[in-house]
Amino acid sequence: MSNATLERTRPRGRGAPPSADAPRRRRSGWWLLLAPILAFDVVLFLTPLGKLVGASFADNAYQRVLEDPLVVRALVNTLTISLASTVVTVVLGYIIAMVLWRAGTVTRVILFAVVLLPFWTGILVKNFAWAVLLQDNGMVNAFLQGIGLTGAPIPLLHNRFAVIVGMVHCLLPYAVFPIFSSLASIDDRLGLAARSLGAREGAVFRRITLPLSMPGISAAGLLVFIISTGFFITPVVMGGPGDMMIANQIDYYARQLTDFSGAAALAVILTVMVSILVAVYQRVLKAGGQHEDN
Amino acid sequence: MKTTNPQHRLLALLSIPAFLFLVIPTAIVVPVALNDSRYITFPPEGISFAAVAGFFADRAWTSALTASLQSAAIAVVIGVLLGATAAIGLHGRKFPGQPAVVGLILAPMIVPTVVLALAFYQFFISIGMVGSIVPIGLAHAVIATPYVYLTTRASLAGLNPALVRSAQSLGAGPLSVLRHVYLPIILPGLISGALFAFSVSIDETVMSLFMQSPGATTLPVKMFTDIQFNLTPKIAVSSALLVSVATIGLLLQVLFVLKRRSSTRMLPLAVSAQT
Repeated sequence: MSNATLERTRPRGRGAPPSADAPRRRRSGWWLLLAPILAFDVVLFLTPLGKLVGASFADNAYQRVLEDPLVVRALVNTLTISLASTVVTVVLGYIIAMVLWRAGTVTRVILFAVVLLPFWTGILVKNFAWAVLLQDNGMVNAFLQGIGLTGAPIPLLHNRFAVIVGMVHCLLPYAVFPIFSSLASIDDRLGLAARSLGAREGAVFRRITLPLSMPGISAAGLLVFIISTGFFITPVVMGGPGDMMIANQIDYYARQLTDFSGAAALAVILTVMVSILVAVYQRVLKAGGQHEDN
Repeated sequence: MKTTNPQHRLLALLSIPAFLFLVIPTAIVVPVALNDSRYITFPPEGISFAAVAGFFADRAWTSALTASLQSAAIAVVIGVLLGATAAIGLHGRKFPGQPAVVGLILAPMIVPTVVLALAFYQFFISIGMVGSIVPIGLAHAVIATPYVYLTTRASLAGLNPALVRSAQSLGAGPLSVLRHVYLPIILPGLISGALFAFSVSIDETVMSLFMQSPGATTLPVKMFTDIQFNLTPKIAVSSALLVSVATIGLLLQVLFVLKRRSSTRMLPLAVSAQT
């Protein structure tokens, strides 16, 4: 994600050598390789985004959307749902990363595949599966009734709980990888030294493992929060009418109200929010000295 | 580090629900699709391919499948061409403005998909390019290209730029350098990037939803539309199809990762593709 961090992972080339024996074509032709992607991104990425920003300044759009109580509600929902999902994701991600860290090589490869399969699966497939599990006659309700926790099915779907469950499931891999890499960079001898000096496992975790994996935790938390703020599918599929997030509001403005300038203003607000968080995220990565998750 | 003290047992105990949470939803998808019942239930009541047959007999679903494959083909071809040329062009070079170029190449990954969806929606309407799969494929190509760029760049990391220079000083022309120096080295990254691009496109929902039209409705869009009314066996079959594709993609990816460790870094990447 971050140019700065990405740059640090690659060896510093010396650049095209201006040596005397260099034929002309060797130095002049290489930018032709960059021309296609630059042309493509200017036409199909920068231009549409530029038009979007332009549209957002029409019709007093910013003031209009920010005075819409539905938008305010969606902004509050976005923040609270993202925050809740982030906390749950980081806690679960930490547990999974700890297991991966402790596991032997073979187990580790298998468990990595387990973490990666949902990662490669589309969000709709995952949300569909959760809807099947959480519906009134679904497996979770059957289980709860089976162990006698509840007599009748409890509504687990189409509410905020379901949205957070669906989001956490999508977000988990993003938390596992940064945390795992910060755990993996801890010197094993620190734990051994602490234990040989009589520290219990709990103390080793509290005073060595946890503090040293803090950069991974904050990177994971930020990354997960950044991704959370853009969720669109999960609130519709798993949430109720009161769980719509900012992305849903953009859709509502664009496709229901056909209010382009309003939708564009909301999109710009979301992008600015995300960009600020991304900038913070890069700072955190730099401070933590992480290269892994880009 | 095999120890059996209480804390490790506590960790193992805590991790079981975490792993179950991660695995169960993906694991039930295929059995649900093969359920011998008109309703969506798990565990299945019996094995039957009736829903699968129903899926492939339904024009709406098969044309959605076709649309998805078409958009993925566009995204993969463009992504591979642009991502690979960019990675080679930037390899071992420093020039003023290079960070900006790299930033532009990677930028589509961090813009929320819904924002891009809105931008493309407006853009393609304004240039009158609506009603086909092409704008959807192009939009997918925009978000797929950075992945190919990154995987290709990762496989180039081991290539010493001096090798290119020595090939050139021995008389190799640009095409010959591309063919004999770059291609063998970037091939694994290219394949891995192509898999990423395919998976990004086949799962992408939001942009495809904004730009959908009759005849250009992709599988995830059809699923998204239907799922809001009812959980039907055909959605289950579609999910099972996508899970199978993901499993194959993951297996291929693991194969290449095992061959070339460098691409491991690329795995937790799909920021924009997921929401």
